[in-house]
Amino acid sequence: MVEKILKLFNSDLKVINIGLELFKNDLESQKVSVVQVSWQPNPKLEKEYEDILSKIL
Amino acid sequence: MKTNYYRDSLQLLRLSEEAKKIEGVKDAAVVMATSTNKEILNKLKLLTSEGLSASSSDLIIAVLADSEPAIDHGIQRIEALLTQPPTASKGRFHTIEAALLSMPDANLAIVSIPGEHVRRIVTSLLEKGLNVHLFSDHVSLEDEFELKKLAKSKGLLVMGPGAGTSIIAGKAIAFANVVRKGNVGIVAAAGTGLQEVSVLVNDCGLGVSQALGTGGGDVKDQIGGITTLQAIEALERDTSTSIIVIVSKPPDATVKKKILDYVTQSTTKPVVTCFLGAEWSTNTIVNGTRISSTRTLHAAVLETLKRASPQATFDSISMSPNELFAIVNELRKELKGRQRYVRGLYTGGTLAYEALVILNQLVGSVYSNAPLNSSFRLPKSSESLKDSILDLGEEEFTLGRAHPMIDPTVRQLRLIEEARDPEVAVIIMDIMLGYGSHSDPAGAMCDSISKAQMIAKNDHRVLPILAHVCGTDQDPQRRSDQIERLEKIGVRTFSTNALMVTASALISRRGIVTLATLNEFYKQFLDSSHGK
Repeated sequence: MVEKILKLFNSDLKVINIGLELFKNDLESQKVSVVQVSWQPNPKLEKEYEDILSKIL
Repeated sequence: MKTNYYRDSLQLLRLSEEAKKIEGVKDAAVVMATSTNKEILNKLKLLTSEGLSASSSDLIIAVLADSEPAIDHGIQRIEALLTQPPTASKGRFHTIEAALLSMPDANLAIVSIPGEHVRRIVTSLLEKGLNVHLFSDHVSLEDEFELKKLAKSKGLLVMGPGAGTSIIAGKAIAFANVVRKGNVGIVAAAGTGLQEVSVLVNDCGLGVSQALGTGGGDVKDQIGGITTLQAIEALERDTSTSIIVIVSKPPDATVKKKILDYVTQSTTKPVVTCFLGAEWSTNTIVNGTRISSTRTLHAAVLETLKRASPQATFDSISMSPNELFAIVNELRKELKGRQRYVRGLYTGGTLAYEALVILNQLVGSVYSNAPLNSSFRLPKSSESLKDSILDLGEEEFTLGRAHPMIDPTVRQLRLIEEARDPEVAVIIMDIMLGYGSHSDPAGAMCDSISKAQMIAKNDHRVLPILAHVCGTDQDPQRRSDQIERLEKIGVRTFSTNALMVTASALISRRGIVTLATLNEFYKQFLDSSHGK
Protein backbone atom coordinates (compact mmCIF):
# COMPACT_ATOMS: atom_id res chain seq x y z
CA MET A 1 0.00 0.00 0.00
CA VAL A 2 2.51 2.55 -1.13
CA GLU A 3 0.67 4.16 -4.04
CA LYS A 4 0.35 7.51 -2.27
CA ILE A 5 4.07 7.49 -1.49
CA LEU A 6 4.93 6.70 -5.11
CA LYS A 7 2.63 9.53 -6.15
CA LEU A 8 4.58 11.85 -3.86
CA PHE A 9 7.86 10.73 -5.51
CA ASN A 10 6.48 11.55 -8.94
CA SER A 11 4.64 14.82 -8.26
CA ASP A 12 5.78 18.38 -7.87
CA LEU A 13 6.15 18.98 -4.14
CA LYS A 14 3.50 21.21 -2.56
CA VAL A 15 4.52 21.88 0.99
CA ILE A 16 2.92 23.23 4.14
CA ASN A 17 5.73 24.28 6.47
CA ILE A 18 4.79 24.46 10.14
CA GLY A 19 7.46 25.99 12.37
CA LEU A 20 10.97 27.06 11.35
CA GLU A 21 10.78 29.52 8.46
CA LEU A 22 14.28 28.55 7.38
CA PHE A 23 12.82 25.46 5.70
CA LYS A 24 10.27 27.56 3.79
CA ASN A 25 13.00 29.86 2.47
CA ASP A 26 15.19 26.91 1.44
CA LEU A 27 12.32 25.27 -0.43
CA GLU A 28 11.45 28.50 -2.19
CA SER A 29 15.02 28.84 -3.40
CA GLN A 30 14.57 25.36 -4.95
CA LYS A 31 11.40 26.63 -6.65
CA VAL A 32 9.09 24.47 -4.53
CA SER A 33 5.56 25.77 -3.79
CA VAL A 34 5.33 26.27 -0.05
CA VAL A 35 3.05 28.02 2.41
CA GLN A 36 4.07 28.91 5.93
CA VAL A 37 2.13 28.34 9.13
CA SER A 38 3.58 30.66 11.75
CA TRP A 39 3.04 28.37 14.68
CA GLN A 40 2.90 29.54 18.30
CA PRO A 41 2.06 27.41 21.36
CA ASN A 42 -1.33 28.14 22.88
CA PRO A 43 -0.98 30.55 25.79
CA LYS A 44 -0.97 28.89 29.20
CA LEU A 45 -4.46 29.26 30.70
CA GLU A 46 -6.03 28.50 34.03
CA LYS A 47 -7.57 25.03 33.85
CA GLU A 48 -11.07 26.48 34.32
CA TYR A 49 -10.71 28.64 31.18
CA GLU A 50 -9.11 25.80 29.25
CA ASP A 51 -12.11 23.57 29.99
CA ILE A 52 -14.54 26.25 28.85
CA LEU A 53 -12.54 26.85 25.66
CA SER A 54 -12.30 23.16 24.83
CA LYS A 55 -16.10 22.92 25.09
CA ILE A 56 -16.61 25.88 22.80
CA LEU A 57 -14.02 24.94 20.13
CA MET B 1 14.01 38.41 31.73
CA LYS B 2 10.59 37.83 30.22
CA THR B 3 8.57 35.11 31.92
CA ASN B 4 6.67 32.48 29.89
CA TYR B 5 7.76 33.97 26.59
CA TYR B 6 8.37 31.57 23.69
CA ARG B 7 10.31 32.20 20.51
CA ASP B 8 11.89 29.40 18.47
CA SER B 9 15.66 28.93 18.58
CA LEU B 10 16.25 30.15 15.04
CA GLN B 11 14.30 33.37 15.56
CA LEU B 12 16.37 33.95 18.69
CA LEU B 13 19.65 33.15 16.94
CA ARG B 14 18.84 35.71 14.27
CA LEU B 15 17.78 38.22 16.90
CA SER B 16 21.02 37.67 18.84
CA GLU B 17 23.00 38.39 15.67
CA GLU B 18 20.98 41.59 15.14
CA ALA B 19 21.46 42.59 18.78
CA LYS B 20 25.26 42.35 18.49
CA LYS B 21 25.11 45.01 15.76
CA ILE B 22 23.28 47.59 17.93
CA GLU B 23 25.43 50.65 18.49
CA GLY B 24 27.26 50.57 21.82
CA VAL B 25 26.63 46.85 22.36
CA LYS B 26 29.79 44.74 22.75
CA ASP B 27 28.08 41.36 23.00
CA ALA B 28 24.50 40.17 23.32
CA ALA B 29 22.36 37.05 23.42
CA VAL B 30 18.64 36.44 23.36
CA VAL B 31 17.85 32.89 24.47
CA MET B 32 15.29 30.68 26.19
CA ALA B 33 16.57 30.15 29.73
CA THR B 34 17.39 26.44 29.47
CA SER B 35 20.25 24.99 31.52
CA THR B 36 22.35 24.67 28.34
CA ASN B 37 21.83 28.29 27.43
CA LYS B 38 22.60 29.51 30.94
CA GLU B 39 25.87 27.55 30.89
CA ILE B 40 26.82 29.15 27.57
CA LEU B 41 25.84 32.65 28.76
CA ASN B 42 28.09 32.06 31.75
CA LYS B 43 31.04 31.15 29.49
CA LEU B 44 30.38 34.27 27.43
CA LYS B 45 30.22 36.34 30.66
CA LEU B 46 26.60 37.24 29.91
CA LEU B 47 24.85 35.55 32.85
CA THR B 48 23.47 37.65 35.70
CA SER B 49 21.85 36.46 38.93
CA GLU B 50 18.44 37.28 37.43
CA GLY B 51 19.26 35.16 34.38
CA LEU B 52 20.43 32.34 36.63
CA SER B 53 17.08 32.22 38.40
CA ALA B 54 15.04 32.10 35.15
CA SER B 55 13.25 28.89 34.16
CA SER B 56 13.26 27.17 30.78
CA SER B 57 9.98 28.77 29.66
CA ASP B 58 11.42 32.25 30.29
CA LEU B 59 13.41 34.31 27.84
CA ILE B 60 16.67 36.07 28.71
CA ILE B 61 17.90 39.23 26.99
CA ALA B 62 21.58 39.63 27.88
CA VAL B 63 23.55 42.70 26.81
CA LEU B 64 27.18 43.57 27.47
CA ALA B 65 28.06 47.26 26.98
CA ASP B 66 30.31 49.91 28.48
CA SER B 67 27.64 52.03 30.16
CA GLU B 68 24.18 51.76 31.72
CA PRO B 69 22.58 53.95 29.00
CA ALA B 70 24.13 51.72 26.31
CA ILE B 71 22.73 48.63 28.04
CA ASP B 72 19.27 50.22 28.36
CA HIS B 73 19.35 51.26 24.72
CA GLY B 74 20.37 47.74 23.67
CA ILE B 75 17.59 46.10 25.67
CA GLN B 76 14.98 48.53 24.36
CA ARG B 77 15.99 47.85 20.75
CA ILE B 78 15.90 44.10 21.30
CA GLU B 79 12.47 44.29 22.95
CA ALA B 80 11.22 46.29 19.99
CA LEU B 81 12.52 43.61 17.60
CA LEU B 82 10.97 40.87 19.73
CA THR B 83 7.53 42.41 19.85
CA GLN B 84 7.28 43.22 16.17
CA PRO B 85 3.99 41.59 15.24
CA PRO B 86 4.32 38.72 12.75
CA THR B 87 3.09 39.87 9.38
CA ALA B 88 0.27 37.95 7.75
CA SER B 89 1.42 38.18 4.17
CA LYS B 90 0.89 36.08 1.09
CA GLY B 91 1.88 32.48 1.72
CA ARG B 92 1.88 32.92 5.50
CA PHE B 93 -0.92 31.71 7.76
CA HIS B 94 -1.68 31.31 11.42
CA THR B 95 -3.57 28.02 11.17
CA ILE B 96 -3.13 24.79 9.22
CA GLU B 97 -6.73 25.02 8.00
CA ALA B 98 -6.10 28.41 6.44
CA ALA B 99 -2.87 27.19 4.84
CA LEU B 100 -4.71 24.18 3.36
CA LEU B 101 -7.46 26.36 1.95
CA SER B 102 -4.77 28.25 0.09
CA MET B 103 -3.00 25.07 -1.05
CA PRO B 104 -5.66 22.32 -1.22
CA ASP B 105 -3.38 20.02 -3.23
CA ALA B 106 -0.52 20.08 -0.67
CA ASN B 107 1.20 16.67 -0.55
CA LEU B 108 3.82 17.16 2.17
CA ALA B 109 4.00 18.92 5.52
CA ILE B 110 7.25 19.78 7.26
CA VAL B 111 6.79 20.09 11.00
CA SER B 112 9.29 21.69 13.38
CA ILE B 113 7.50 22.61 16.60
CA PRO B 114 8.15 21.64 20.23
CA GLY B 115 7.70 17.89 20.75
CA GLU B 116 4.79 18.05 23.19
CA HIS B 117 2.53 19.57 20.52
CA VAL B 118 3.48 17.16 17.73
CA ARG B 119 0.90 14.41 18.22
CA ARG B 120 -2.11 16.70 17.91
CA ILE B 121 -0.78 18.62 14.91
CA VAL B 122 0.55 15.64 12.94
CA THR B 123 -2.62 13.63 13.56
CA SER B 124 -4.64 16.40 11.93
CA LEU B 125 -2.20 16.57 8.99
CA LEU B 126 -2.48 12.82 8.41
CA GLU B 127 -6.27 13.00 8.64
CA LYS B 128 -6.10 15.56 5.85
CA GLY B 129 -4.03 13.16 3.70
CA LEU B 130 -0.57 14.74 3.90
CA ASN B 131 2.77 12.96 4.15
CA VAL B 132 4.84 14.42 6.97
CA HIS B 133 8.52 15.20 7.36
CA LEU B 134 8.75 15.56 11.15
CA PHE B 135 11.86 17.49 12.13
CA SER B 136 10.77 18.00 15.75
CA ASP B 137 12.40 15.89 18.43
CA HIS B 138 11.49 15.25 22.08
CA VAL B 139 8.49 13.23 20.85
CA SER B 140 7.67 10.19 23.01
CA LEU B 141 7.94 6.72 21.48
CA GLU B 142 4.27 6.21 22.31
CA ASP B 143 3.28 9.28 20.26
CA GLU B 144 5.64 8.22 17.45
CA PHE B 145 4.08 4.76 17.32
CA GLU B 146 0.50 6.09 17.24
CA LEU B 147 1.34 8.57 14.48
CA LYS B 148 3.15 6.00 12.35
CA LYS B 149 0.38 3.45 12.82
CA LEU B 150 -2.15 6.02 11.63
CA ALA B 151 0.08 7.04 8.70
CA LYS B 152 0.55 3.44 7.59
CA SER B 153 -3.19 2.76 7.73
CA LYS B 154 -3.63 5.68 5.33
CA GLY B 155 -0.71 4.73 3.07
CA LEU B 156 1.20 7.87 4.09
CA LEU B 157 4.73 8.41 5.41
CA VAL B 158 5.75 10.02 8.69
CA MET B 159 9.47 10.68 8.27
CA GLY B 160 10.75 11.36 11.79
CA PRO B 161 10.48 12.51 14.54
CA GLY B 162 13.99 13.83 14.60
CA ALA B 163 14.29 13.47 10.80
CA GLY B 164 16.93 15.93 9.77
CA THR B 165 17.11 15.08 6.10
CA SER B 166 15.18 13.85 3.10
CA ILE B 167 15.49 14.28 -0.63
CA ILE B 168 12.14 13.83 -2.35
CA ALA B 169 11.46 14.29 -6.04
CA GLY B 170 14.90 15.91 -6.38
CA LYS B 171 14.26 18.53 -3.68
CA ALA B 172 16.27 18.86 -0.48
CA ILE B 173 14.05 18.80 2.60
CA ALA B 174 15.42 20.34 5.85
CA PHE B 175 19.17 19.61 6.16
CA ALA B 176 20.01 18.05 2.84
CA ASN B 177 22.55 18.51 0.09
CA VAL B 178 22.16 19.30 -3.56
CA VAL B 179 23.01 16.06 -5.34
CA ARG B 180 22.28 14.94 -8.88
CA LYS B 181 19.28 12.80 -9.68
CA GLY B 182 20.07 9.16 -10.22
CA ASN B 183 19.12 5.58 -9.44
CA VAL B 184 20.28 5.17 -5.82
CA GLY B 185 17.44 5.14 -3.27
CA ILE B 186 18.34 5.72 0.36
CA VAL B 187 16.45 4.93 3.58
CA ALA B 188 18.12 6.31 6.67
CA ALA B 189 17.38 6.29 10.38
CA ALA B 190 20.38 8.58 10.62
CA GLY B 191 20.29 12.13 9.24
CA THR B 192 23.93 12.92 8.62
CA GLY B 193 24.42 9.30 7.51
CA LEU B 194 21.97 10.07 4.72
CA GLN B 195 23.85 13.28 3.93
CA GLU B 196 27.25 11.55 3.80
CA VAL B 197 26.00 8.68 1.62
CA SER B 198 24.15 10.97 -0.81
CA VAL B 199 27.13 13.32 -1.09
CA LEU B 200 29.66 10.51 -1.67
CA VAL B 201 27.38 8.81 -4.21
CA ASN B 202 27.25 12.17 -6.01
CA ASP B 203 31.04 12.56 -5.79
CA CYS B 204 31.49 9.25 -7.59
CA GLY B 205 29.30 10.27 -10.50
CA LEU B 206 26.03 8.59 -9.53
CA GLY B 207 22.85 10.21 -8.27
CA VAL B 208 19.96 9.80 -5.85
CA SER B 209 16.37 8.89 -6.76
CA GLN B 210 14.77 9.44 -3.34
CA ALA B 211 16.37 9.65 0.11
CA LEU B 212 14.01 9.16 3.01
CA GLY B 213 14.86 9.95 6.63
CA THR B 214 12.88 7.85 9.10
CA GLY B 215 14.12 9.28 12.41
CA GLY B 216 16.31 7.28 14.79
CA GLY B 217 13.37 6.00 16.86
CA ASP B 218 11.99 4.05 13.92
CA VAL B 219 14.42 1.15 14.40
CA LYS B 220 13.56 0.70 18.06
CA ASP B 221 11.40 -2.22 19.23
CA GLN B 222 8.53 0.06 20.24
CA ILE B 223 8.17 1.35 16.67
CA GLY B 224 9.22 -1.78 14.80
CA GLY B 225 10.65 -0.08 11.74
CA ILE B 226 7.24 1.01 10.40
CA THR B 227 8.57 3.88 8.26
CA THR B 228 11.74 2.03 7.24
CA LEU B 229 9.69 -0.88 5.88
CA GLN B 230 7.23 1.44 4.07
CA ALA B 231 10.18 3.31 2.54
CA ILE B 232 11.91 0.11 1.37
CA GLU B 233 8.66 -1.10 -0.18
CA ALA B 234 8.19 2.23 -1.96
CA LEU B 235 11.78 2.25 -3.29
CA GLU B 236 11.40 -1.35 -4.44
CA ARG B 237 8.39 -0.26 -6.51
CA ASP B 238 9.83 3.10 -7.60
CA THR B 239 10.88 2.75 -11.24
CA SER B 240 13.63 5.36 -10.97
CA THR B 241 15.38 3.44 -8.17
CA SER B 242 17.60 0.52 -9.13
CA ILE B 243 19.58 0.04 -5.90
CA ILE B 244 18.51 0.57 -2.27
CA VAL B 245 20.84 1.67 0.53
CA ILE B 246 19.69 1.33 4.15
CA VAL B 247 21.61 3.32 6.78
CA SER B 248 21.04 3.28 10.51
CA LYS B 249 22.66 3.32 13.90
CA PRO B 250 22.25 -0.17 15.37
CA PRO B 251 18.59 -1.18 15.22
CA ASP B 252 17.07 -3.21 18.04
CA ALA B 253 17.62 -6.91 17.27
CA THR B 254 14.01 -7.71 16.42
CA VAL B 255 13.76 -4.71 14.09
CA LYS B 256 17.02 -5.60 12.36
CA LYS B 257 15.68 -9.09 11.76
CA LYS B 258 12.39 -7.71 10.48
CA ILE B 259 14.19 -5.39 8.04
CA LEU B 260 16.56 -8.09 6.81
CA ASP B 261 13.73 -10.64 6.46
CA TYR B 262 11.70 -8.12 4.48
CA VAL B 263 14.64 -7.24 2.24
CA THR B 264 15.43 -10.92 1.62
CA GLN B 265 11.87 -12.04 0.95
CA SER B 266 10.13 -9.03 -0.54
CA THR B 267 12.65 -7.10 -2.62
CA THR B 268 14.33 -7.92 -5.90
CA LYS B 269 16.71 -4.95 -6.31
CA PRO B 270 20.29 -4.91 -5.00
CA VAL B 271 20.33 -3.74 -1.37
CA VAL B 272 23.30 -2.40 0.62
CA THR B 273 22.88 -2.12 4.39
CA CYS B 274 24.98 -0.18 6.84
CA PHE B 275 23.87 -0.76 10.43
CA LEU B 276 26.64 1.30 12.02
CA GLY B 277 27.97 -0.25 15.21
CA ALA B 278 25.63 -3.22 15.07
CA GLU B 279 27.05 -6.35 16.57
CA TRP B 280 28.94 -7.93 13.72
CA SER B 281 28.11 -11.57 13.36
CA THR B 282 27.67 -13.98 10.52
CA ASN B 283 23.91 -13.49 10.52
CA THR B 284 24.42 -9.81 9.66
CA ILE B 285 25.79 -10.80 6.29
CA VAL B 286 22.64 -11.90 4.58
CA ASN B 287 23.59 -12.78 1.11
CA GLY B 288 26.81 -11.93 -0.61
CA THR B 289 25.29 -11.51 -4.02
CA ARG B 290 22.20 -9.30 -4.07
CA ILE B 291 22.24 -8.03 -0.49
CA SER B 292 25.41 -6.83 1.13
CA SER B 293 26.18 -5.51 4.59
CA THR B 294 28.80 -2.93 5.37
CA ARG B 295 30.25 -1.46 8.56
CA THR B 296 30.83 2.18 7.61
CA LEU B 297 29.15 4.81 5.45
CA HIS B 298 32.31 4.91 3.32
CA ALA B 299 32.10 1.16 2.66
CA ALA B 300 28.35 1.39 1.98
CA VAL B 301 29.03 3.89 -0.79
CA LEU B 302 31.82 1.83 -2.38
CA GLU B 303 29.59 -1.25 -2.29
CA THR B 304 26.73 0.73 -3.84
CA LEU B 305 28.97 1.94 -6.64
CA LYS B 306 30.20 -1.54 -7.44
CA ARG B 307 26.62 -2.73 -7.76
CA ALA B 308 25.14 0.29 -9.48
CA SER B 309 27.85 0.77 -12.04
CA PRO B 310 30.65 -1.74 -12.54
CA GLN B 311 32.64 0.91 -14.43
CA ALA B 312 32.33 3.52 -11.67
CA THR B 313 35.56 4.99 -10.40
CA PHE B 314 36.16 5.54 -6.72
CA ASP B 315 39.17 7.85 -7.06
CA SER B 316 37.33 10.87 -5.73
CA ILE B 317 36.71 9.28 -2.35
CA SER B 318 39.40 6.63 -2.10
CA MET B 319 42.86 6.76 -0.62
CA SER B 320 45.16 3.74 -0.26
CA PRO B 321 46.68 2.82 3.13
CA ASN B 322 50.07 3.90 1.78
CA GLU B 323 48.77 7.31 0.75
CA LEU B 324 47.09 7.77 4.12
CA PHE B 325 50.30 6.78 5.93
CA ALA B 326 52.27 9.36 3.95
CA ILE B 327 49.84 12.16 4.85
CA VAL B 328 49.80 11.14 8.48
CA ASN B 329 53.60 10.97 8.71
CA GLU B 330 53.73 14.60 7.72
CA LEU B 331 51.04 15.67 10.19
CA ARG B 332 52.44 13.81 13.18
CA LYS B 333 56.15 14.52 12.89
CA GLU B 334 56.29 17.43 15.34
CA LEU B 335 53.98 16.01 17.99
CA LYS B 336 55.25 15.78 21.57
CA GLY B 337 55.34 12.40 23.32
CA ARG B 338 52.48 13.21 25.66
CA GLN B 339 50.12 14.17 22.82
CA ARG B 340 48.23 10.90 22.63
CA TYR B 341 44.52 11.49 22.23
CA VAL B 342 41.91 12.13 19.54
CA ARG B 343 39.16 14.65 20.21
CA GLY B 344 36.18 14.81 17.87
CA LEU B 345 33.86 17.82 17.75
CA TYR B 346 30.91 16.72 15.65
CA THR B 347 27.74 18.48 14.64
CA GLY B 348 26.51 15.36 12.81
CA GLY B 349 25.41 12.54 15.11
CA THR B 350 25.80 9.72 12.61
CA LEU B 351 29.26 10.89 11.59
CA ALA B 352 30.22 10.95 15.29
CA TYR B 353 28.92 7.41 15.55
CA GLU B 354 30.92 6.29 12.52
CA ALA B 355 33.98 7.83 14.20
CA LEU B 356 33.34 5.74 17.32
CA VAL B 357 33.00 2.57 15.26
CA ILE B 358 36.32 3.19 13.48
CA LEU B 359 38.27 4.32 16.53
CA ASN B 360 36.93 1.40 18.52
CA GLN B 361 38.65 -0.86 16.00
CA LEU B 362 41.91 1.05 15.69
CA VAL B 363 42.54 2.57 19.14
CA GLY B 364 40.09 0.77 21.47
CA SER B 365 37.11 2.13 23.40
CA VAL B 366 36.53 5.85 23.17
CA TYR B 367 34.62 8.15 25.50
CA SER B 368 31.61 10.00 24.21
CA ASN B 369 28.37 11.67 25.25
CA ALA B 370 26.74 9.17 22.86
CA PRO B 371 29.07 6.15 23.23
CA LEU B 372 29.00 2.72 21.61
CA ASN B 373 29.26 1.14 25.03
CA SER B 374 27.57 2.80 28.01
CA SER B 375 30.59 2.25 30.28
CA PHE B 376 32.43 4.81 28.13
CA ARG B 377 29.82 7.54 28.57
CA LEU B 378 31.58 10.77 29.52
CA PRO B 379 30.77 11.51 33.18
CA LYS B 380 30.32 15.14 32.17
CA SER B 381 29.69 16.09 28.55
CA SER B 382 31.37 19.41 29.28
CA GLU B 383 34.75 17.69 29.89
CA SER B 384 36.53 15.37 27.48
CA LEU B 385 38.48 12.39 28.74
CA LYS B 386 41.35 10.61 26.96
CA ASP B 387 40.05 9.82 23.44
CA SER B 388 36.65 11.53 23.23
CA ILE B 389 34.14 11.98 20.44
CA LEU B 390 31.42 14.56 21.06
CA ASP B 391 28.07 14.71 19.35
CA LEU B 392 27.28 18.38 19.86
CA GLY B 393 23.79 17.86 18.46
CA GLU B 394 22.77 15.83 21.53
CA GLU B 395 20.14 17.21 23.86
CA GLU B 396 22.51 18.49 26.57
CA PHE B 397 24.05 20.89 24.02
CA THR B 398 20.87 21.87 22.18
CA LEU B 399 18.10 22.35 24.75
CA GLY B 400 16.54 25.68 23.73
CA ARG B 401 19.29 26.36 21.17
CA ALA B 402 19.60 26.02 17.43
CA HIS B 403 21.42 22.87 16.29
CA PRO B 404 25.23 23.27 16.03
CA MET B 405 24.97 22.81 12.26
CA ILE B 406 23.35 26.27 12.37
CA ASP B 407 24.78 27.88 15.50
CA PRO B 408 28.56 27.36 15.82
CA THR B 409 28.90 28.89 19.32
CA VAL B 410 29.09 25.65 21.31
CA ARG B 411 31.76 24.15 19.06
CA GLN B 412 33.77 27.37 18.94
CA LEU B 413 33.95 27.44 22.75
CA ARG B 414 34.71 23.74 23.01
CA LEU B 415 37.53 23.85 20.47
CA ILE B 416 39.39 26.41 22.57
CA GLU B 417 39.01 24.21 25.65
CA GLU B 418 40.34 21.15 23.81
CA ALA B 419 43.32 23.11 22.49
CA ARG B 420 44.40 23.89 26.05
CA ASP B 421 44.77 20.17 26.87
CA PRO B 422 48.45 19.23 26.28
CA GLU B 423 47.55 15.55 25.83
CA VAL B 424 45.48 16.14 22.71
CA ALA B 425 47.25 14.89 19.58
CA VAL B 426 44.64 15.71 16.97
CA ILE B 427 41.21 17.34 16.67
CA ILE B 428 38.70 16.19 14.09
CA MET B 429 35.47 17.86 13.00
CA ASP B 430 32.73 17.70 10.41
CA ILE B 431 31.70 20.71 8.38
CA MET B 432 28.13 20.07 7.22
CA LEU B 433 26.95 21.91 4.12
CA GLY B 434 23.61 21.95 2.37
CA TYR B 435 20.23 23.55 2.86
CA GLY B 436 19.38 24.23 6.49
CA SER B 437 23.01 24.51 7.61
CA HIS B 438 24.97 27.64 8.51
CA SER B 439 25.69 29.82 5.47
CA ASP B 440 29.47 29.58 6.01
CA PRO B 441 30.22 26.81 8.51
CA ALA B 442 33.96 26.67 7.74
CA GLY B 443 34.28 30.45 8.00
CA ALA B 444 32.42 30.38 11.32
CA MET B 445 35.10 28.08 12.75
CA CYS B 446 38.17 29.83 11.29
CA ASP B 447 38.76 32.32 14.14
CA SER B 448 38.45 29.63 16.77
CA ILE B 449 40.73 27.30 14.80
CA SER B 450 43.38 30.01 14.57
CA LYS B 451 43.03 30.71 18.31
CA ALA B 452 43.35 26.99 19.07
CA GLN B 453 46.52 26.78 16.96
CA MET B 454 47.91 29.83 18.77
CA ILE B 455 47.18 28.32 22.19
CA ALA B 456 49.13 25.20 21.19
CA LYS B 457 51.96 27.27 19.71
CA ASN B 458 52.32 29.35 22.87
CA ASP B 459 52.62 26.07 24.73
CA HIS B 460 55.35 24.91 22.28
CA ARG B 461 53.09 22.29 20.66
CA VAL B 462 51.63 21.76 17.23
CA LEU B 463 47.99 20.74 17.04
CA PRO B 464 46.85 19.03 13.83
CA ILE B 465 43.21 19.84 13.05
CA LEU B 466 41.44 17.65 10.48
CA ALA B 467 38.10 18.28 8.85
CA HIS B 468 35.67 16.51 6.57
CA VAL B 469 33.52 18.87 4.54
CA CYS B 470 30.29 16.98 3.83
CA GLY B 471 28.67 18.67 0.87
CA THR B 472 28.82 19.36 -2.84
CA ASP B 473 29.83 22.27 -5.04
CA GLN B 474 26.14 22.69 -5.86
CA ASP B 475 25.26 23.32 -2.20
CA PRO B 476 24.58 26.96 -1.28
CA GLN B 477 27.93 27.08 0.59
CA ARG B 478 29.97 25.52 -2.28
CA ARG B 479 32.27 22.80 -1.02
CA SER B 480 35.42 23.91 -2.83
CA ASP B 481 35.17 27.36 -1.21
CA GLN B 482 34.72 25.83 2.23
CA ILE B 483 37.73 23.52 1.77
CA GLU B 484 39.84 26.43 0.58
CA ARG B 485 38.99 28.48 3.69
CA LEU B 486 40.04 25.65 5.96
CA GLU B 487 43.20 24.65 4.13
CA LYS B 488 44.34 28.27 4.03
CA ILE B 489 44.65 28.22 7.82
CA GLY B 490 46.37 24.84 7.95
CA VAL B 491 43.43 22.47 8.40
CA ARG B 492 43.86 19.17 6.58
CA THR B 493 40.62 18.08 4.89
CA PHE B 494 39.53 14.57 3.89
CA SER B 495 37.03 13.40 1.29
CA THR B 496 35.15 11.12 3.69
CA ASN B 497 34.53 11.09 7.42
CA ALA B 498 35.91 7.55 7.62
CA LEU B 499 39.25 8.53 6.08
CA MET B 500 39.57 11.52 8.44
CA VAL B 501 38.87 9.36 11.48
CA THR B 502 41.30 6.68 10.30
CA ALA B 503 43.99 9.36 9.88
CA SER B 504 43.30 10.64 13.41
CA ALA B 505 43.81 7.13 14.79
CA LEU B 506 47.14 6.83 12.98
CA ILE B 507 48.24 10.21 14.32
CA SER B 508 47.31 9.55 17.94
CA ARG B 509 48.62 5.96 17.91
CA ARG B 510 51.68 6.70 15.80
CA GLY B 511 53.94 3.69 15.58
CA ILE B 512 51.32 1.46 17.22
CA VAL B 513 48.88 1.04 14.32
CA THR B 514 51.00 -0.62 11.64
CA LEU B 515 50.53 -0.76 7.89
CA ALA B 516 49.55 -4.43 8.22
CA THR B 517 46.84 -3.56 10.76
CA LEU B 518 45.66 -0.79 8.52
CA ASN B 519 45.44 -3.09 5.49
CA GLU B 520 43.28 -5.53 7.42
CA PHE B 521 41.13 -2.67 8.71
CA TYR B 522 40.61 -1.38 5.16
CA LYS B 523 39.39 -4.78 4.03
CA GLN B 524 36.83 -5.09 6.84
CA PHE B 525 35.69 -1.51 7.32
CA LEU B 526 36.35 0.57 4.24
CA ASP B 527 36.59 -1.49 1.08
CA SER B 528 35.84 -5.21 0.94
CA SER B 529 37.79 -5.55 -2.30
CA HIS B 530 40.96 -3.99 -0.86
CA GLY B 531 44.00 -6.16 -1.52
CA LYS B 532 42.15 -8.44 -3.95
